[in-house]
Amino acid sequence: MEAIGNIVSLLFFPGGLFVIFAGLMYEWLDHKIIARSQNRIGPRWFQPIADAIKLLTKEEIVPDGVNPVLFAILPLIALAGALTAALYVPMAGLKPAYSFAGDLIVTVYMLSLLTLSIGLAGANAKERFSLVGSTRALTQLFAYEAPFLLALLGPAIAAGSWQISEIVAYTETHTWMMILQPIGFVVALIGLMGKLELPPFDSPEAETEIVAGALTEYSGRGLAIFHLGKGAELIIGLTLITAFYMGGVSNPVWFLVKTVGLLAVLAALQSLMTRLRIDQTVGMWWRYGALLVLLQWLIIVVVQLV
Amino acid sequence: MNITQEWNDILDKVKTWARVNSPWLIHYNSGSCNGCDIEILATLTPRYDAERLGVKLQGSPRHADVLVCTGPVTMQSRDRLQRIYDQMPDPKFVVAVGSCAISGGAFQGCYNVIGHIDEVIPVDAYIPGCPPRPEAIIDGLVKLLTAIKTGAPIQTEKPEELLDVV
Ligand code: SF4
Repeated sequence: MEAIGNIVSLLFFPGGLFVIFAGLMYEWLDHKIIARSQNRIGPRWFQPIADAIKLLTKEEIVPDGVNPVLFAILPLIALAGALTAALYVPMAGLKPAYSFAGDLIVTVYMLSLLTLSIGLAGANAKERFSLVGSTRALTQLFAYEAPFLLALLGPAIAAGSWQISEIVAYTETHTWMMILQPIGFVVALIGLMGKLELPPFDSPEAETEIVAGALTEYSGRGLAIFHLGKGAELIIGLTLITAFYMGGVSNPVWFLVKTVGLLAVLAALQSLMTRLRIDQTVGMWWRYGALLVLLQWLIIVVVQLV
Repeated sequence: MNITQEWNDILDKVKTWARVNSPWLIHYNSGSCNGCDIEILATLTPRYDAERLGVKLQGSPRHADVLVCTGPVTMQSRDRLQRIYDQMPDPKFVVAVGSCAISGGAFQGCYNVIGHIDEVIPVDAYIPGCPPRPEAIIDGLVKLLTAIKTGAPIQTEKPEELLDVV
């Protein structure tokens, strides 16, 4: 019985198919909101699904000069990392499938696997655009990763536990963390945008400068799997932030309402801002992001002591 | 009809559906006067919103399905055009936009011009005009997509009436 439960949670819910499908739907919603704010009609609801199927059925070209094993395996690692992270978050407002003390750290680093794989994939190709893209992707990883993690640790410190289920249980019974720790919320939200390489942090894949960044040489299946991984990461990131900062996700309806609301904020920010240069991104994160979160930490600690 | 064949039929249908609904473009100017390129960009702006058909402009030939070419092929750009075409993964389609792409147009007979697009790579759809309006470009794209959907043989011969558009 337990084995069946494990397989279901790995392949269908909350890992596997559910996350992939939900990720595609959230991606559509994101594009649709951006399109509406630009006064366009925007894509149809099945657009990301059609894109994914089309890419999966296309020819995959393995360019000269790459290591073919790495070329094939990096997208899989990226997707696997994202799907593993899904097992530890309260997906759809239900209990996480697995849970242990300190799973917050594991989840955040599982999410970073995607960016790491993208960076390595770019460095693997013998092509200048991929290389520039991968340098930028990894630089950006070092910029947002620390502030993002610190921002997620804010509620963890308040809850006195680094286990996602316990933190969620704490945030559900207290005032929204968004109000108690506004700085942490903003940093986490913007950190998520950096993680997903959404505008204004899309310089790693700036198509007006470096073609398509690190994934320039990927076609067909590899590209599709990276896309699916990004979608999965979008929904996991939204779940984490809503669970931590927006009063928890106690049931599927609240989950839907809160994550879609947060997504609308993300989409609005995306359509408002233009791309930052990579040095501006790094400067912003380390000069303001990290310092602000540390200030937030200091406030939490002081408040807890008194 | 046995089960594997039915299964394959269903898979083929899904594949075609996905292909028709998500044409990603790459745009290459092989020597045009830029008039056609401006019209193509106008097609992608919010006014005409090609994204509702699933159209997305891609930077890398590796990600694209449809190569949108404008202008006559000059000597210098012939190899590049060929290379971009070769870099695209199968299945790929080519759309020639504008009189110059179809027949050489105003640049016919220039010392540095080789000719029109289908002397270099096979073309699947022609969109006449100098330059064609965005509506015409969308119409051409929809015709290409309908041809893919119905499995109709894609036009490789240039229609006669387009030959006089010079
Ligand atoms: S068809 Fe007309 S607008 Fe287009 S490239 Fe030729 S001359 Fe320019």
